Amino acid sequence: MAQLDLITRNLMLDSLKEYAKRKINYDFIREMDRLNECPVEILKEMYDPKVLGVHLISIPEEYGGIGGGTLDLYRICELLARIDLGIATSVFATYLGIDPINVGGTKEQKAYWLGRIARERLMVAYGATEPDAGSDLVNLKTKAEHVVKDGKIVGYKITGLKQWISNGGIADLYTILAMAPGGPSWFVVERNMEGFSPAHHEDKHGIRLSNTAGLSLDQVYVPAENLIGGVEGQGLLQAQAVFGYTRLMVAAFGLGCGWSALETAIRYSQQRIQAGGPLSEKQGYMNKLIVPHAVNLEAARSYIEYVANRLDSGEHGLQTEGAIAKYWATESGNKASEDSIQALGGYGYTRDFPVEKIKRDVKITCIYEGTNEIMEMTIYRGRWQEHLKTRGNYYLEMAKELEESSKNNNDSGMYEAALGLKALSVILEECRINKLTRHQYVTFVLGKLISMAEHAYIFSKTASKEKFSDSVKFDSNSYKAMSRVFAKTAALKIAQEGSALVLGANDKSTNLADKINLSEIEKRQYGIINDMDIISRSLVQVFKSR
Amino acid sequence: MNIFVCIKQVPDSSEVKINPETGTLIRAGVPSILNPYDHFALVAALTIKKNNPDAVINVITMGPPQAKAVLQLALALGCDNGYLLSDVAFAGSDTWATSYALSQGIKKIGKADLIICGMQAIDGDTAQVGPGIASQLNIPQITFCDNVDLEGKKVIAKRHIDDGYDIVEANTPCVVTMVMPKDYELPFPSFVDIHKASSKTIITYSADDIGAKKEYIGLKGSPTQVNRIYPPSKEVKTTVINTTSVEAVEKIIEIMRQENFIK
Repeated sequence: MAQLDLITRNLMLDSLKEYAKRKINYDFIREMDRLNECPVEILKEMYDPKVLGVHLISIPEEYGGIGGGTLDLYRICELLARIDLGIATSVFATYLGIDPINVGGTKEQKAYWLGRIARERLMVAYGATEPDAGSDLVNLKTKAEHVVKDGKIVGYKITGLKQWISNGGIADLYTILAMAPGGPSWFVVERNMEGFSPAHHEDKHGIRLSNTAGLSLDQVYVPAENLIGGVEGQGLLQAQAVFGYTRLMVAAFGLGCGWSALETAIRYSQQRIQAGGPLSEKQGYMNKLIVPHAVNLEAARSYIEYVANRLDSGEHGLQTEGAIAKYWATESGNKASEDSIQALGGYGYTRDFPVEKIKRDVKITCIYEGTNEIMEMTIYRGRWQEHLKTRGNYYLEMAKELEESSKNNNDSGMYEAALGLKALSVILEECRINKLTRHQYVTFVLGKLISMAEHAYIFSKTASKEKFSDSVKFDSNSYKAMSRVFAKTAALKIAQEGSALVLGANDKSTNLADKINLSEIEKRQYGIINDMDIISRSLVQVFKSR
Repeated sequence: MNIFVCIKQVPDSSEVKINPETGTLIRAGVPSILNPYDHFALVAALTIKKNNPDAVINVITMGPPQAKAVLQLALALGCDNGYLLSDVAFAGSDTWATSYALSQGIKKIGKADLIICGMQAIDGDTAQVGPGIASQLNIPQITFCDNVDLEGKKVIAKRHIDDGYDIVEANTPCVVTMVMPKDYELPFPSFVDIHKASSKTIITYSADDIGAKKEYIGLKGSPTQVNRIYPPSKEVKTTVINTTSVEAVEKIIEIMRQENFIK
């Protein structure tokens, strides 16, 4: 997908920020959250092309939209999440609902449906999940039966239940996954169709501004032209085709929520005087509660942008990469908001500050679009195949590349990232030799370690460049310090957690510490505290108290 | 009807801090924005255009290539043409040299009926460029206005003064500088308008293109030389007066006189 130019993208972000400043302030959000109410009027205004037209970014230009790239959508999603994850989820539900048409629709279907969504500002919902089919969509129970007239299939009658559908109670249009005689297929269902009824808005832990409802479909008749793509049995392929991209958007949500909470904490730390000075000047406070999260979130950003650029350059799928991005960004966002409550002390535990709400909201990013346990399995499966195919060289090749580059300049931690990759390769090989992946838990942990190693690989390469993405707010010195801290920390965690995993599952592995070069990894930890101090000072400069 | 609006890209001053040791601006992570007074100048031009659909709004700025962002914003808001004066030879221009360059640019682009500027830019706060352009072009100026209208060849502007306002008329061509009403909410463009504006051409002119003489532009062509930038001192002096209340009041009054707080 072609990306918008930098100026255009930034102007759109500015307009969205300005709109939010005027219409979606914290008092409003807080009240809607208390009432468990979705601000439908606000959403409709955000869809209004004269005000914003926020839904148009996911619709190609030829069908009346703006046609942004993945990078543009990630930036919009990050900002939406900073504003409110409930509202972000609602806008994302339209993006997601449009995807089956975008990916699998015929030219005529795209022109008709996408044209209508653009013109009529239709809110869309994506109806895949069912009471008994979440991440395993093969267990789909919703049925689509042929309606035959004069020997020709003229339509379908859809019957079944959908659950946890974002925009479920407020959408105008639904893309519904159902089991047709020819296999799982996507259908476009309109709200006013007979037999279609949404259930009540769920009372949720977080994202309470996002309408979430079940759907009941009782013999809902849809004409044959509402079968997306016109061929049955393409549904799961069409769903999977966009996982790389949709999970990247959820990663952007984790990033946005995490930074939003952390920014609140950083600004607060400069105002709160304790023991004669602001908290922001207390090394323990900053390096425990703030700095590690800033590092993890910027590592997540570098990886999200790496995947977004690959998708925008025409690569397809990238499901493993999407899972890696989603897993790390949402885990990091969740942990950052948890510690942001801690950083605000008693105030953080009240609703006067937004961090408590962000923490409730961001948890969903670890659950929806595939739980993070499903992500760990997806990551493991994807990379295990690469490890086997390359006879254990997959990560060694990456390590070699970083080692070579680090000979000229190691100020972004490429050497340490290479140590982590090599250690990971050893851990994977021990798992293969000793058949440890028969333990499901081992596969989960491997998913996590892979995610860390690949983030270190990308982050250290990104930070070694002369020019950074415009989304990076930090100067070169502190950004490189972040990358160094991440690479060193990742290498040690991979070594320690990987060893514990291997040794915990079998008694045949010997000399593991030598094989993973633990002594060198430990030696390379030196300098982390100094780097954290550099980052701490930079954070206070960038996020000044107001 | 040819309206020119002169605008400037500035650092968002609400995000800028000064390094107390070096006295320099800390720009890390500080976003660039359209100078809010210039944003209001665009609003004034667009209001005139609403009542005079034939009016053409030309927006002009001087700056590095990234200053195109404020021109695209102006186009997205509904202005017609964007012009960027960009050349290393302009670097370091003070208000005099900037006024000269902008007036050369305006002359190059076409005949102006009305030139609207923000009263001042929030990074320098000089309020000199608008009047400077009027002086360079040898045309009238009306400053500190919050409203401006065109009736034929007459400019009518509401000019703020200390205890009220004047309604001032001038013949075209004329320069008007705009102040902004308190709490005024500046318009922002929709995604659709921003996207449409991205396909409009922004014309870039170099110093040679506008016939600017090298001795009148850039650092060398600037009569103002900045010696040092530093934040005002925030030193707090404490004096304890330990006497009767009547004497203490007299003493306080005396100190206040010495420090010029009262006469």
